[in-house]
Amino acid sequence: MKIDRRSFLSLGVGAGAGIALSPLPWKLTDDSSIWTQMWPWTPVPRDGAVNYVNTASTICSGGCGLSVRKIDDRAVKVEGLKGYPGSNGNACIHCMAGIQMLYSPNAVKSPMKRTGKRGEGKWQPISWDEAISETAKKLGELRESGKASTLACILNSDYGTIPALFKQFLNAFGSPNFMRTPSYQDAYEMTLALMHQTDSMAVFDAENADFVLSFGSGIIDGWGSSVRMFKANSSWKEKNVKLVQIEPRLSNTAAKSDQWLPVNPGTELILALGIAHVIITESLYNKDFVEKYAEGFEDWTDNEGNKQKGFKNFVLEGYSPSYAARVTGIEANTIVKLAKDFAGASAPLALCGRGQGTTPGSIHEFMAVHALNALVGNINKKGGIWAMPKPDYIKWEQAKLDDTAREGLKVPRADGAGTEKFPHAKYLLTRLPEVINSAKESPIQALFVSGANPAYTLPDTKAVAKAFASIPFIVSFTSHMDETAEMADIILPNHGHFERYEDIPAPPGYNKPVVGLARPVISPQHNTRHVGDTLIAIAGKLGGTIAESFPWKSYEECLEKTMGENWTSIQESGVITNPDYEAPGWDTAFETSSKKFAFIPGNHNPGNNSLQIPVIEGNDNYRLTLIPYDSMRLAAGPVGNTPFVTKTVSEKVLKGNDICIEINPKTAEKYGLKQGQYAILTTPKGKAKVKTELSPGIMPDIIAMPRGLGHTGIDEYLAGKGININELIGPVEDPASGLDAAWGIKADLVKA
Amino acid sequence: MSKAQEHNKAKKYGMVIDLDKCTGCGACMVACMAENNVPFKKDESDKLLSITWMKVYKLTNGKDFPDADICYLPRPCQHCEGQHSGHSPCVSVCPATATDYSTDTGIVSQIYTRCFGCRYCMAACPYHARHFNWWDPVWPAGMEKMLSPDVSVRMRGIVEKCSFCFHRYQRAKDKAYMEDRRELEEHEYQTACTQACPAGAIIFGDLNNPDHEVHKIAQPDPGHHGRPKNPNAFRLLERLGTNPKVYYLSSREWVRKAGDNYLKTEKINKH
Amino acid sequence: MSTLDDKPKEVSDSGGFAILFFIVGLVASLVVGWVVFPKLLYSQKKQPFDFNHQLHNELVDDGCQSCHFFREDGSYAGVPKLEQCSGCHEEVQGETEDEAVFVNEYVANNREVPWLIYSRQPDCVFFSHAAHVKAGQMDCKTCHGDIGTSTTLKVYEENRITGYSRDIWGKNIAGFKKNTWDRMKMDDCSECHVKLGVNQTSVQTQKGACFVCHK
Repeated sequence: MKIDRRSFLSLGVGAGAGIALSPLPWKLTDDSSIWTQMWPWTPVPRDGAVNYVNTASTICSGGCGLSVRKIDDRAVKVEGLKGYPGSNGNACIHCMAGIQMLYSPNAVKSPMKRTGKRGEGKWQPISWDEAISETAKKLGELRESGKASTLACILNSDYGTIPALFKQFLNAFGSPNFMRTPSYQDAYEMTLALMHQTDSMAVFDAENADFVLSFGSGIIDGWGSSVRMFKANSSWKEKNVKLVQIEPRLSNTAAKSDQWLPVNPGTELILALGIAHVIITESLYNKDFVEKYAEGFEDWTDNEGNKQKGFKNFVLEGYSPSYAARVTGIEANTIVKLAKDFAGASAPLALCGRGQGTTPGSIHEFMAVHALNALVGNINKKGGIWAMPKPDYIKWEQAKLDDTAREGLKVPRADGAGTEKFPHAKYLLTRLPEVINSAKESPIQALFVSGANPAYTLPDTKAVAKAFASIPFIVSFTSHMDETAEMADIILPNHGHFERYEDIPAPPGYNKPVVGLARPVISPQHNTRHVGDTLIAIAGKLGGTIAESFPWKSYEECLEKTMGENWTSIQESGVITNPDYEAPGWDTAFETSSKKFAFIPGNHNPGNNSLQIPVIEGNDNYRLTLIPYDSMRLAAGPVGNTPFVTKTVSEKVLKGNDICIEINPKTAEKYGLKQGQYAILTTPKGKAKVKTELSPGIMPDIIAMPRGLGHTGIDEYLAGKGININELIGPVEDPASGLDAAWGIKADLVKA
Repeated sequence: MSKAQEHNKAKKYGMVIDLDKCTGCGACMVACMAENNVPFKKDESDKLLSITWMKVYKLTNGKDFPDADICYLPRPCQHCEGQHSGHSPCVSVCPATATDYSTDTGIVSQIYTRCFGCRYCMAACPYHARHFNWWDPVWPAGMEKMLSPDVSVRMRGIVEKCSFCFHRYQRAKDKAYMEDRRELEEHEYQTACTQACPAGAIIFGDLNNPDHEVHKIAQPDPGHHGRPKNPNAFRLLERLGTNPKVYYLSSREWVRKAGDNYLKTEKINKH
Repeated sequence: MSTLDDKPKEVSDSGGFAILFFIVGLVASLVVGWVVFPKLLYSQKKQPFDFNHQLHNELVDDGCQSCHFFREDGSYAGVPKLEQCSGCHEEVQGETEDEAVFVNEYVANNREVPWLIYSRQPDCVFFSHAAHVKAGQMDCKTCHGDIGTSTTLKVYEENRITGYSRDIWGKNIAGFKKNTWDRMKMDDCSECHVKLGVNQTSVQTQKGACFVCHK
């Protein structure tokens, strides 16, 4: 037998034939094709039972009612909760993407202590016991050295049990410095305090209005309770309700309005008074209201015998349509027609608070717009603006005070609110950085921040950072690494938005009483603790009257006792509301001494002087004016964009990491700028490299920049993208109120 | 059951989007992403590479200040029927049978495991409704917990697109079977974007069913391949003859014209 | 070095060997293809512990659906969760070692049993139990065979390439089947769908529409 090449060939052919006749090649082909269909590293979501947990949102400021879809114990999707007041079945874009915050790898996973320099980002995880002891120790030292009043708390709201717990803490501790982040609600509350003499919230019966005059309010750009306003806007389309939008930029609201009136920014106040002029001269105002239920319309003599000019003559003498036209840039006959249409409607509604209402604005502008509603008698009426009492379900025993606390509470607020200079203001957080920076020793020695991100949201971030740098002890309660947390000394992380209980009262602008319940959708993913529990624990550690002021074992017990007999029903339905609520009639609505609406509040009469348009920062060397704009697709508040939401942002707003600045094509041509070019934007506050975006939807010589970009923190899907407009704009103090009245800043844009 | 009745049972799911109501808020896009396990990257500003089954476009009227106007236009897959049953641009070019048209629902399907990524369908689709996965999707650690088991996660090298949330149809059918029913109520099958739209701008239903809102609003003309009889309604690129099942409403003529590349001087040809 | 004349002779000599080698190669590769390959292709995995379907079936009222039930929304719960089992098995009831393992390792520690599921389909497959069992009035056996009367769990064989259970392809390596439950590949679903005319509405194939069974 001789084995040669042929034998091997035969063996090979035989083997080949055998393999071909076996399942091996066919099975291998099939299996490998199946393998390529689904790589082993492609995640396969685990299946399970679908269940829904209803909750109210702590993510957005609008208060969406949410129904979270779960697969077994995983939360997979956020949907709107049917029947929830306002948002009824829908949710805003930020709430819809809220699960990305829940499962974010950037969530703060345990208490942390800063080890490096401030802002360096070096942290050391510590135990809860350590964290609370250390916080209590620092606070105890403040009290011992007689500096109790130097503790401040910054929150994004002052309604509900969480703000109430902080207020309770401050009271027991001995500090008056509770601060709410600024918004148009400050200006509206002050307007009602002045003109109604009530401590109430401005809410709007938007769905029933039949003519809406918006002074720059971004009705479909996130103003008020966003989802509710979208629904109202859709109902206006169905009922042919006219919406007139007054603002210098073609916002989404302007584009969807029936009439867009581009106004010289900052002159809205004059326009409102020009409209009032027409209504008064043409005698189109509601005589029943003005004559029987209002004061300060006609001239009067005060108790000291001084002649006071009433609203009528104040307007007639100073604010003719032709004057208003000259100032605002809107033609006089347009103003006349607008005034006639407005006064001729059966339920006309005028509202203000620019964009999403994140800056308060000029108090006189708010009062002028409110006066328009008064002229047409649409206050506390169907389709009008209502003054609704603030939520009052929290009826705790007052904080117990020891001597230190009593002494501390006597010290005036650091931000100047409620002082002689600004008697009507409750919170003036935008003044605080300047106060701190101009003091030798910071009047704030310790700061608690919860639910707010002032290092990002306050105007003039540089000044804010400088001020924070001189506060020796900052505690953040955030569950995400935001810009304020980056400056903190200790982070005591709260449970995430879908991991905790919280009462959510009073969706902004919603004209029925509402208390929603946020509740745990899933169990906490990390070593976090409810901010309420943390605060109770710190109080316990401090002992004495402070501990006694917190008679609850846990936040849940506190919430349950606060809700009292409503606890069961709010757990069942997720909300307590009264859909039949009606605003009080004109005879009982006003708390002035005459029980009448005050066109010109007695102690606040601008009537004898002419009004001043709030001036923005910058001189004539700057050729342009920069205004911020808001978009639903950019979260500009304490919570930043999630990856899904950032994905929706247009490439005409954010391109790569570059922010795009809207500029009128004619203005661009004038200054030698082309579409999509790099340019250097300069304001008195700072400088930034931007890209130009030519837009015919903006007034010449005005440039617009979106709010909500330029984060340094949050996560890698957001940090480093674009510029935070607050780096370029500073606050402008309204001389009448102390509130921030800045609506823009002088700026220049040159080719980079 | 007679033949005629059987024929009546065929559905033609479609959509009407009211552009007067659409606020451009983007809730539909996010609802779609969350519902359908759509991935995301660190930079999504190159929109040619950004996977968005539902994308909201911004239309401009091209006029100068102060006559400038904008309008938002949400664009899901148009689920084209074509000139004869199911001859949609993408289905007719797919060499892999990865995309298909069902005469039962009128929905254009995309089967990821079948697709080999030739992208003919993307070239054929006049609506840019199809997207290619240039990369494997990556969820940051922990975030894969939010993935829904109802929709397969896609992989690198394949094309994906809007399915009219077909899994919701399947879920609704399962529920109906449990209750011993074969037919679905209008509200039982709604896409995620329809459900999410806070402005109520999106309406979804069976275009074949005269009781459904979509049929009442769009008034499709069977004699003209479903062209809308409602004077405010239009379809994108109507003149291509793709016979899409997504209708748009606008009271503004420039918007209706923008839907089909009309010349400035051209009048809208209704019939 | 041979001459040219020598060559043909040698060739004719090795002809018989060539056939022999051919047969050797053929037989060896047939053995490899039919016997060795399947053994290599599938890894053998044991279930966490054994389970007696027959025994449980006798104790429940509603047959398979007592444990493998439908949820209210029409979805199918599949393999029972620990919670269902621990209702009865809070304590060891019988005498089997397997039950002791279950109670001590899983019930006591509140740990889900990591069952290996013989009939698990790839993620791209949408299968509605409701459509088949409720609407189609099919019995479990048509696809799952006699599992309900089994007294022990067979070894789970996992395809090393695809990661799927051998039951999808079927025990028979050639892919032949005698019973409807022998294989669970797409063709097997399709066979029945074609026969019954289920959703034969595809424009591409004139057969079943893809979205009926895929997601």
